[in-house]
Amino acid sequence: MKRVIPVLVLSVAGLIPVWRYEPSIGTTSTTTTTEAVSTPTPTATSSSPSSSSSGSSSTPSASTKKVVQGTAINTSKGTVQVQVTFEGDKISAVSMLQQPNHPQTTAAVPVLIEETLKAQSSKIDTVSGATITSDAYVQSLQAAIDAKGA
Amino acid sequence: MGFPVSLRVDDEGIGDEVADALFAWLREVDARFSPFRPDSEVCRYDRGELQLRDLSADLTEVLELCERYRVATGGAFDVRLPGRPLDPCAVVKGWSVQRAAELLTAAGARRFILNAGGDVVVAGGPWRVGVRHPEHADQLCTVLELTDGAVATSARYERGDHIVDGRTGTPATGLLSISVVAASLTEADATATAAFAMGPEGVDWAAARPGCEVFAVDAERCVRRTQGFPVALAEA
Repeated sequence: MKRVIPVLVLSVAGLIPVWRYEPSIGTTSTTTTTEAVSTPTPTATSSSPSSSSSGSSSTPSASTKKVVQGTAINTSKGTVQVQVTFEGDKISAVSMLQQPNHPQTTAAVPVLIEETLKAQSSKIDTVSGATITSDAYVQSLQAAIDAKGA
Repeated sequence: MGFPVSLRVDDEGIGDEVADALFAWLREVDARFSPFRPDSEVCRYDRGELQLRDLSADLTEVLELCERYRVATGGAFDVRLPGRPLDPCAVVKGWSVQRAAELLTAAGARRFILNAGGDVVVAGGPWRVGVRHPEHADQLCTVLELTDGAVATSARYERGDHIVDGRTGTPATGLLSISVVAASLTEADATATAAFAMGPEGVDWAAARPGCEVFAVDAERCVRRTQGFPVALAEA
């Protein structure tokens, strides 16, 4: 029992600095950076390298809005630069100031072109269409192509 | 299954026996995989006369492809609809015609067009491939230029509302026609049919599939196509 008491005293003594501990500003911004990395939105995740550099330079205080531009980073696909908006110690918005005009970034979301339906005839080698029956084939464009070739 | 097959081979020294082997393969596929022949492997499996482990490697491969597309479309593409016999035709067609094209390549053919009921495999182009207009049988709605690859079209105009959305059990009517270009007809045909079953959202789904280019006409007659869809230049 005598040994237990000093151990308890030491434990309590060890806890006091933890209670008294207040994170410094530098530590807070590191935390912010971690949040940015773990934010599940794709923009925030993809911009994490730049937001970490901007995060360490920012000094967030509660409920103020601060816009920070990341340094422009040259990648093999082109230059990437992000802008991060902090509200307090939270990132509220991330936008791309520069992004490479490269298929790997521009084609990440397929862009569909809208057109009006046109009817045309043209010189062609073959025709793609819905599966046709033998009866329909007789009158099809493909039958005409085959007849010409034979 | 029953569809007309057109074959054009431009290489010298490719004899009739190569074409004969190709057509024999397609007839064999029909005998083995047709849901309309009671003695086919598909029907015997569907009736429980064959177990999964008894199936040929070919049918196992086809059923695995079917399952992959069912999962990828959230159930819209389904070869096992309630109250209907097992019908893997949508995958069998593209898969078997792609195999047929590979027979040609293996025999030394380098420049050919294989058109199986509107599904096309080409090699050694450039070839001009017309896409049938969904409302006018004698007109085209676009022409694409294809050197090596495949294009498949799913639509309502030939066989009516025969493609069913497996999620609702009702015929898919959101699109008039969708054409998919891919490296193989296996991919192009299954993607076109699956996207057609999904309806308008299927256009975005097909467009996002790696290696697929899409040209679709919706029920309002609007065209939506991918940037990479290889539209041919006007003929010279």
